[in-house]
Amino acid sequence: MNYPVWEPQIMGGGMVIGIIAILHVFVSHFAVGGGLFLPLTERKAYRENNPALLDYVKAHSKFFVLVVLVFGAVSGVGIWWTIGLVTPEATATLIHVFVWGWAIEWVFFIVEIAAAFIYYYGWDRLSPQTHLRVGWIYFGAAWASLLVINGILTFMLTPGKWIERQTFASAYFNPGMLPSLVVRTAVCVALAGVYALITSSAVRDVALRNNVVRYAAQWLLFGAMVIPLAGIWYISTLPSMAREVSMGGSPVVTLFAGLSILLSVLLVAFTYFGPYQRPQAFSTVFAFMLAVLALSTTGVTEWVREAVRKPYIIYGYMYVNSLRLADVGYVQEQGILKSAKWVHQHEVDANAPGRSGGEVFRVECASCHTVNGYNSIRFAVKGWDGAMIDYQVAHLNELKGFMPPFVGTEAERKALVDWLVNLNPRPASPGAGGGNTALPNLSTGIPGEGGPQP
Amino acid sequence: MNPVIPAPVPIPLPAPTWLLQFLLVFTFVLHLLAMNSLLGGVIFLTVSSFLGRRDSRHREFTRRVSRVMPPVTAFTITLGVAPLLFVQLVYGQLFYTTSALMAWYWLAVVFLVLLGYYGVYWYQMEHDELGPKAVWVILVTAILFVHVAFLFTQNMTAMLHPQDFYSLYMNGRVGSILGPVTVLNIARLAHFVVAAVALAGLGAALVSHRWKTESPDLADWGRRYGVSLFMGATLVQYLVGLWFLFSLPVEIRQALVGDKLAVGILASAIVLALLAVLSAPRNLLVSSVAILGTVSMMAVVRHFVRMAYLAPYFDPHALPVQGQWVVFFFFVVLLLAGLATVGWMLYVFFRPAARRASA
Repeated sequence: MNYPVWEPQIMGGGMVIGIIAILHVFVSHFAVGGGLFLPLTERKAYRENNPALLDYVKAHSKFFVLVVLVFGAVSGVGIWWTIGLVTPEATATLIHVFVWGWAIEWVFFIVEIAAAFIYYYGWDRLSPQTHLRVGWIYFGAAWASLLVINGILTFMLTPGKWIERQTFASAYFNPGMLPSLVVRTAVCVALAGVYALITSSAVRDVALRNNVVRYAAQWLLFGAMVIPLAGIWYISTLPSMAREVSMGGSPVVTLFAGLSILLSVLLVAFTYFGPYQRPQAFSTVFAFMLAVLALSTTGVTEWVREAVRKPYIIYGYMYVNSLRLADVGYVQEQGILKSAKWVHQHEVDANAPGRSGGEVFRVECASCHTVNGYNSIRFAVKGWDGAMIDYQVAHLNELKGFMPPFVGTEAERKALVDWLVNLNPRPASPGAGGGNTALPNLSTGIPGEGGPQP
Repeated sequence: MNPVIPAPVPIPLPAPTWLLQFLLVFTFVLHLLAMNSLLGGVIFLTVSSFLGRRDSRHREFTRRVSRVMPPVTAFTITLGVAPLLFVQLVYGQLFYTTSALMAWYWLAVVFLVLLGYYGVYWYQMEHDELGPKAVWVILVTAILFVHVAFLFTQNMTAMLHPQDFYSLYMNGRVGSILGPVTVLNIARLAHFVVAAVALAGLGAALVSHRWKTESPDLADWGRRYGVSLFMGATLVQYLVGLWFLFSLPVEIRQALVGDKLAVGILASAIVLALLAVLSAPRNLLVSSVAILGTVSMMAVVRHFVRMAYLAPYFDPHALPVQGQWVVFFFFVVLLLAGLATVGWMLYVFFRPAARRASA
């Protein structure tokens, strides 16, 4: 509303963020877990006086650097990039609340990157003791960066006392922060195992390979044991509506929550009966299959975490369409078009309400819905007549708890309904020779280029 | 018509504006040092790779310099995070608007950087195996990073023109509005690219200097080559800088010239650059310190230009402030501790004992 609305066609802004975020989560947790895996395994090699294991750790550190320092770092910046494009108002809010938190995280990034390079380039330059110390510095900095960002992420779902106090401490030390930190740390350990299974599966020395594969599987299984316990703790801190949404309130979210559990169980079962029980039969293909399974689990779980936060982007403070709860009364009175800065019409055009309705949709609904693509609004209203759509829009938050209320004047609501009604061709009436099948170009979403004409 | 500027976030700034602006400029200088080394580095590596097809010194030079590039890339990205954070905090109302207008292009930056980063690694790790093909890898990488510089120039210039935001919005489609590519933008981009080549040349001379025990001839050659790049590009910069200065709108140039402090800083930056050029053949340390002064002062001048552009429309000093001093203090302490830790790691890595161990 305050910023121009970017509508990535087909995907929608949410999916753009989602794709980058899921890939980043999958790599960034490895950045932390792998940072623990490296010095611990290196120490194990020294203690066991096992040069072959040490060679494996060296090779793994190259893989680590290529995955983490490049993809991890760039995709992390990528999330920040996309949230700024898709939800600038919420991003600006987070930066106002947490700028020093992010500045602190930036310090940890600098240490983390310096340590990772020195660790990687230092195998033959540093004494074992110093090399290990650098490895621990890496892990400390990487985990500390998780410590910071975790509090910011959980703030969005459980802002706790910040709503009243508006201080940094009340925002950061929010109810979900600690349990989520434990969950994420466990995920880091499990993912360290997933990635180590990939590199260990390629080891040529059979005895070493069997040893390392089993060792890597233990990391995955250990992490996976902690996740459900800490997960229950985390879920207990969620707002009741968020819990209800994932436990039957919304069939889709419930389905995905169930899928997350199912995929996790499958991952554990495959790991236990595969690399843990029969490391000798383990292959690189199997390792990649487990990685895909782990990526799917991560993706589905992150999707659920995002979904249960709806209808908010910052729980109890800002709706997912960037409207602050505090501004609802004002916008309701003034109208959404008059309050929005980036629209072509600041009031409903009585001669072409459909066009104005398209504007209302873009400002108020496009943060979640596309016209024709992901979470398509055309599909959502298919088969509904005007009265049905109007009833739904007027009672959005009551009928669908995960949606914000419609905020705007009655004329704007009618205009939106008018636009929605015309999204789908009307059923052909007998003898009329066909229905309204000639649809304007809806894909552009630009008034004048699209927007059904009444 | 009044410019359309989004309303500020109804949360006070967590520190006075001057402090945030200081941190913005300071961290931008850090980013510039790494970014110049990266952008200029991939450009001169491309040239040297071409020449290296026939000249073994260029070949060996590129092989050795390429080892430095992955960390330089990593630090360019990481050091860029902080200034982008502070620019979003102080100028977010402008920055988010133009970013959204050019969203597809702006999003492309992420992918261009990702591909460029892998290009840098590919070039370094497979340098010998790639043989004559290496030049194409580094050429594409250089094109990717110049493209990133172009997109940054577009956005950072567009955000200085809030009076144009609404007409851009009305006449385009959100996400695809790159904004006009003006002579000023081209001059600004050229100013950055030439500066990058100069700084990277000096960086290459410093790196070459480290080879003096193992390969004295190459070290000497690399040093002279880097210094000549630095001197040549800096002399070209005097022309490009003038072009950029005279591409600025008259009122902005007048505001700059009318501000004694700005003129003093700009003049000092130019004199220091001359000192850096003159001292480069004999003393790299003096030259490096002088050019660090130039870069820092030019970043301050850039800030003055930004303020001059925005003065009629946007005053960040008018934003409410409520300092989060405890956590700021914590940040400063951690920054010092972090830098000390990095310093220690660099010390143990580069100390002579470590070099002996690797030899």
